[in-house]
Amino acid sequence: MIELAGVSHQFRIGKRGKERVVPVLHDINLKVEKGEIVAVVGRSGSGKSTLLNLMSGYIRPSSGEIRVGGQNVTKLDEGEWANFRLANYGFIFQSFQLIGSMTAYENVELPLVLKGIGSGERRAKVMKLLEQVGIAEFANHYPSELSGGQQQRVSVARSLILEPPIVLADEPSGSLDSENEKTLLTMIRQLNHELGITFVIITHDEQVASIAHRAIRLQDGRIGGLA
Amino acid sequence: MKFQDQIRFVRQNMKKNKTRLFMTVLATAMGCTFLIVLASVGFGLQQSMVDNIVGDRLVTAVDLYGKNPDQHKDTNIYDEDIQMFRELADVKAVTYRNNIYQWLNPKVEGEEVGSDKTTQVDFEAETKAGFDLSAGRMPEADNEIVIGYHIREQMDEQGMPTGYEDASEWLNKTMTLEVTYYAAGKKLTEPMEAVIVGVTEIPTKEWNRDKTIYMGVGMLEKIEGITGTRNGELPYFEVENPTAEKIDAALANLPKPSEQRSYQDVQVVASHAEKVKGLVETLRDKGFYTHSIVDELKQVNLMFAIMKIGLIFVGTIAVLIASIGIFNTMTMAVTERAQDIGIMKAIGAHPSVIRKLFLLESAMIGLMGAIFGTVVAYGVSLAVNAGLPVVIKQFMEEEVPADFLFSVIPPYLTALACGISLGVAMLSGYRPALRATRIDVLSALRRDV
Ligand SMILES: Nc1ncnc2c1ncn2[C@@H]1O[C@H](COP(=O)(O)OP(=O)(O)O)[C@@H](O)[C@H]1O
Ligand SMILES: [Mg+2]
Repeated sequence: MIELAGVSHQFRIGKRGKERVVPVLHDINLKVEKGEIVAVVGRSGSGKSTLLNLMSGYIRPSSGEIRVGGQNVTKLDEGEWANFRLANYGFIFQSFQLIGSMTAYENVELPLVLKGIGSGERRAKVMKLLEQVGIAEFANHYPSELSGGQQQRVSVARSLILEPPIVLADEPSGSLDSENEKTLLTMIRQLNHELGITFVIITHDEQVASIAHRAIRLQDGRIGGLA
Repeated sequence: MKFQDQIRFVRQNMKKNKTRLFMTVLATAMGCTFLIVLASVGFGLQQSMVDNIVGDRLVTAVDLYGKNPDQHKDTNIYDEDIQMFRELADVKAVTYRNNIYQWLNPKVEGEEVGSDKTTQVDFEAETKAGFDLSAGRMPEADNEIVIGYHIREQMDEQGMPTGYEDASEWLNKTMTLEVTYYAAGKKLTEPMEAVIVGVTEIPTKEWNRDKTIYMGVGMLEKIEGITGTRNGELPYFEVENPTAEKIDAALANLPKPSEQRSYQDVQVVASHAEKVKGLVETLRDKGFYTHSIVDELKQVNLMFAIMKIGLIFVGTIAVLIASIGIFNTMTMAVTERAQDIGIMKAIGAHPSVIRKLFLLESAMIGLMGAIFGTVVAYGVSLAVNAGLPVVIKQFMEEEVPADFLFSVIPPYLTALACGISLGVAMLSGYRPALRATRIDVLSALRRDV
């Protein structure tokens, strides 16, 4: 489903002329199969987020090739990446990344709106999903009126609304207490089991890693060992 | 993303800072109002000066001198031509002169009338065309007539005017006429009476003398009924007392009232000054010799066109100044919403969608400004037209002509001003919109933009 071949990444920092190169990822080769839950673990600063950002198309690799669903996405431009994300990915973020001026309902609806789906069809889908993640009664609440766990459910609902084949999550439980974390993990397992959604989850949390089929350990920008 | 969703989205965003929105729309509206009002003065002066001072009919009338012999065998203008003119687009009226071919010996209170011709006109068409009277009214009944302004003017032997007596003193008086005709080999006369109800306006060309008697079609028919000839024409004889056979033979040669008529002084009056040019072209294409004052007004109109362009240009500067406000508002909006934009891009919003949303927002500001600006401009225009004559009268003791307009807003000026406001708004929203599309997803998600 996702394939990285010889991917390296380095950041350029500092002013032009006095640039400094910060190498972060070195020659990454990895393969995520369809229907897998893969955990990416490693110490802070080891390059986990950078890896996920490359898969998401937020940044471009300095070298190497990335394939998703058989398509070479290494050379997509910004607009093509946007369309690709909308069609293939759901995203769950550590800090939820909900739009503050929109209600829970509108946040979940957003990908449908972007895709150009009519409002009648949207309503049914959004309400059903909000029901499933258990926050239908908060549909008209703004993110600031919701707890962290509720916000993360909204964000999960948003990631799933277009029924993407892949969900990318960067420390999804990082801002949650253990009870909410448990619910989230149960939800992920269930979705993976029932819908066959592929998950790539970054975590430094043992509990999260425990639901994964496989863990990839990053060490100083290299794939270290398998857990 | 559907257009209706874009609109909804933009409206939601615009509501986030109502005061700022209001001020921006206000500035745009003021610019738009200024543009329209300023330019409307150019339009108003042009219309008032060209249409009113030069004279409505002079501008809209097209004189027809006949047909081009290259295209027509007979160069006269006949009934069928008149009918065809009436059916053309943008024609308000078609007028003509149809002269009586005999001396009717007109008298008022026994005094001989110094008229130079008697002519039949279509009073209904003349009224529509703007036949101007200096006194009285247009005829309504068949026996009512209008007399020329100079009909009582005295002349010396050289034909120079020696004195003018007011023709309007004859209003409501009866004019006696004598129709000469031949019957049973004899020359006879039949008296007729007509009531003078109107006096024409003094001709605009100062050297012209209007000494005509104008009658309607009813009187013409009466005259023709008496003589049995078209336009009351009489046969001409070399000898003093022609024989009855000669008279009958000559009469038989004259055209009958039922025969085709040709008309003099045909004028086709356009519905509006702007239509004259097109009308002249149409008529020329059909092979008529024409002349219209528009041919001469080109210079004046060119001058006004330049003036209007100048005013619109100055007005556009006001809109441009307002656009600084839009630019500022949109830049702030992009900065404020950088995070939301980042989130949208992160989950798959195409940069062009982001750009569209911001362009739409600035276009909405421009549109709202244009609408409010236009409404206010119409108000200001009305106020100027109503108020300025009063002010001028108060302070300069000068009377402004009744239908003189200082400010006229033609629909296309409104369209132009709205177009300019909208265009400038979108132009000033373009850079902020572009900046929005360039927002980096990761910086936005880290909340450090
Ligand atoms: N935009 C950036 N510019 C420069 N260096 C960066 C940038 N983003 C991350 N890094 C560096 O790359 C390394 C890996 O970061 P990251 O992928 O976020 O690690 P992790 O998610 O595993 O904690 C860190 O040393 C970090 O300082
Ligand atoms: Mg990280």
